[in-house]
Amino acid sequence: MSSTTRRMIGVYRQYWRINVLTTLEYRENFLMWFGFTFVYHGSAIAALWVVLSRFPSMNGWDFRDMAFLYALWMMGHALHNTFFAAIGDVPEHIQDGEFDRILVRPLNELFQTITMPGQIFPDELILAASFFVFATWYSGVHVGLLFIVMVPLIVIGGALIDLAISLVIATTAFWFIRVDALRWIVLQLEQEFTRYPISIYSRGVKLMLAFVFPFAFMNYFPAAFFLHKTDTGLALPAAVGLLTPLIGVVVATLAYIFWRFGLNRYQGVGH
Amino acid sequence: MIATRPYRFRLEPYIEFAKKAIARESTYRFEVFTSIGSFVVRVYLLRMVWTALYARNAAPEGLPLHAIITYSTVALLMGLVLDIDQTRLLHDHLHDGTIATDFMKPINVPLYFFSDGTGEVLFHAALIFPAILLSLFLVHIDVPSAFVLVMFLISFILGYFVGFFINFILNCIAFWTLEISAAQLILTWVTDLFGGELFPLVFFPLAVQNIIFALPFAAMFSTPLLIYVGQIRPERYAEVIGVQVAWVVVLAGASWVMWRFGARRVVVQGG
Amino acid sequence: MPIIRTRDLQKVFRSIKRRPGVGGAISALFSREYEDKVAVSNVNVSLEAGEMVGYIGPNGAGKSTTIKMLTGILVPTAGTIEVAGIVPHAHRQQNAVNIGVVFGQRSQLYWDLPLRESFELLRAIYDVPRDRYRENMREFAEILDLERFLDTPVRQLSLGERMRGDFAAAMLHDPKIVYLDEPTIGLDVIAKEAIRDFICRVNRERGTTVILTTHDLADVERLCERIVLIDKGTVIYDGPIERLRTEYGTHRTLIVNLADSYPEFSIEGADLESREQNSVRLRFDRRTITAEALIRRVTERYSITDVAIVEPDIETIIRRIYVEGYSVQPATSPA
Repeated sequence: MSSTTRRMIGVYRQYWRINVLTTLEYRENFLMWFGFTFVYHGSAIAALWVVLSRFPSMNGWDFRDMAFLYALWMMGHALHNTFFAAIGDVPEHIQDGEFDRILVRPLNELFQTITMPGQIFPDELILAASFFVFATWYSGVHVGLLFIVMVPLIVIGGALIDLAISLVIATTAFWFIRVDALRWIVLQLEQEFTRYPISIYSRGVKLMLAFVFPFAFMNYFPAAFFLHKTDTGLALPAAVGLLTPLIGVVVATLAYIFWRFGLNRYQGVGH
Repeated sequence: MIATRPYRFRLEPYIEFAKKAIARESTYRFEVFTSIGSFVVRVYLLRMVWTALYARNAAPEGLPLHAIITYSTVALLMGLVLDIDQTRLLHDHLHDGTIATDFMKPINVPLYFFSDGTGEVLFHAALIFPAILLSLFLVHIDVPSAFVLVMFLISFILGYFVGFFINFILNCIAFWTLEISAAQLILTWVTDLFGGELFPLVFFPLAVQNIIFALPFAAMFSTPLLIYVGQIRPERYAEVIGVQVAWVVVLAGASWVMWRFGARRVVVQGG
Repeated sequence: MPIIRTRDLQKVFRSIKRRPGVGGAISALFSREYEDKVAVSNVNVSLEAGEMVGYIGPNGAGKSTTIKMLTGILVPTAGTIEVAGIVPHAHRQQNAVNIGVVFGQRSQLYWDLPLRESFELLRAIYDVPRDRYRENMREFAEILDLERFLDTPVRQLSLGERMRGDFAAAMLHDPKIVYLDEPTIGLDVIAKEAIRDFICRVNRERGTTVILTTHDLADVERLCERIVLIDKGTVIYDGPIERLRTEYGTHRTLIVNLADSYPEFSIEGADLESREQNSVRLRFDRRTITAEALIRRVTERYSITDVAIVEPDIETIIRRIYVEGYSVQPATSPA
């Protein structure tokens, strides 16, 4: 095992140890954030429920289907927020000079960003997992071998898609420095667009959600597949949803290339 | 010996505060673009959602598709002005201790924060014009009679004040705890759900409607919007406007109380 | 074989020329004009292992730009750098293992964690062998008196305590080279002394090469034998601090305590700088008169109780150079 790998494993272990200790120490904080996360997702689901109780079918999807749709998105999103959320701090690091410190340490820059000690709470992940279990049962989706094998991979793929988005936004900070507004809007739009089956959108938007910002692969296509929806709104079979893990790896890699490009420019141009 | 002039109340400094707030907000060019951008995207999104929902389900009484699209779009326009943290300055000053110097100045401190918030709101209100223009490319907005429009505007302004005082009370909590961002976010989502911004509150099951309409949040979006789309008929105008006025008075009183207790705490404890 | 060597080092920053007014903004959409600012040029510096060098210059001279290039944060526009045989920006991580950095204005410690945890995390990042880590911790805790606050969260530490922690953190992995950027800024006298002692000791006992960038010239005077003076992006002096003093420290001050209160005091060959009752300060040019000669002249005319000589301080010398520019002064013997 090379020295670098050994160091990265050591740092990662240390990082999580600190996280656990800090979380236990700031218990009240944890409860507060748990409450906030609950309300954030809860109000979205409640809004869906209220509207769908008056309008039972949306392009052939009912509330049970949409609950599963939301739950699948929430899993990938929560996984990303638990492990990769620190990337969102890059603009702040650039502004306050902390990023220079990262450049002076003997570890990959992205890895260092992800392992900056901070308070990571597993509340969203716990919530997401609970809701997913519930939604799986509630929607009546068939839980066969394929489901059990593919869903974890799809969730990881979803997290990677979110990672790609986070990374791209963080990279733009090398040029624009302040990108909080962008980050917030992208987050909002992601949550709002993935809530509904993409078949309701116009063709251009459908293509964009499938091939440009592949949010549709985070939850829509896989959900359509497992819920046996025949018409996906595009000339694509729902089975493409099984490609989500691959798509996640591809976009994350592309985002990483863009990140390195931004990093090089940052070191060349100065700040 | 120079004689100091006695304190007299003048409007001039508060106008300056408002102007300063406008100048400050206009430097955030990026934020302006992103808020208009997200507005446009949401107008589109909601149009697609309602169209899909109305396609396969029976339309509710008195709210045909064009009415609900109007509702959503006008709600988003209102949101440009209402979804702002108007008294953020209060929270910021409490956070960094500047509040102490505020109290040392010959100004009415809550009025200072109100002026600042007003300036911020006026700036954002100016965004409504380009927003309306842009939305006309995407949707058709019904325009009611002049009388209804005027009543709508009155109701809107009252709703604004309800929101202002709720926001003020919330930021006053910073006198005691400083860490209120979670509570604030919770309130935002609660307001979204029960305020009528996302969907008409009449979609809620009848059983809970009485409670929801009794809450102040409904006075913010729902009342003016329902007036606009004609769901509230002229006969009920006096009643609903009355409710709004009542809430404004109650919340103003609560704000005054919060302020008195909070300000005393600063003076006694030194911030 | 020098441990640090730069050749014809240059860094040019290109920025977009902003034209005033609305017309300027619109024309900027169509054609872009660039402005080049040369931050550093023609820097040729060579350091041997174990040297302790002061790197000084006025604000905006190019000091931090040079340091950033040496530490691998910034890529040079032209020229070469080699630090311990590695090109810093090309092999960032490898270079990082060899260096330690203390930014006076910005701590590298983790704000919310107890000091000890910060060290633990750094141990993992640099992969310091456990026993070496323990040894270093023991030594630093003793010299820098860290024991008292090892378990305190960093945000609760005073500036002096935090700085001591930062120094320990920088040295934890036994770097060959240490860059100190304003390390004693804002510290009280006692803390400054402790830091200076630590730097001296580390340099002497471990042979660590030290590059000290600072505005506190007392630090430089106390610690460094060699100075590199940079102004407007070029090195204008690179050599022993003593030579600067002899070449530029032409004026010394003689303090005389008079035995009687003489109504008038004047002496040929020296300027009366100030007089307070019986204490007189005389400023004289070393090249035109020796201290001995001046004292003799004074005692011929007045009776004195005490005498003291104040050397030109490096601060005044540097200030002169900033203002007048540097040129080699011919050595002249006093009259």
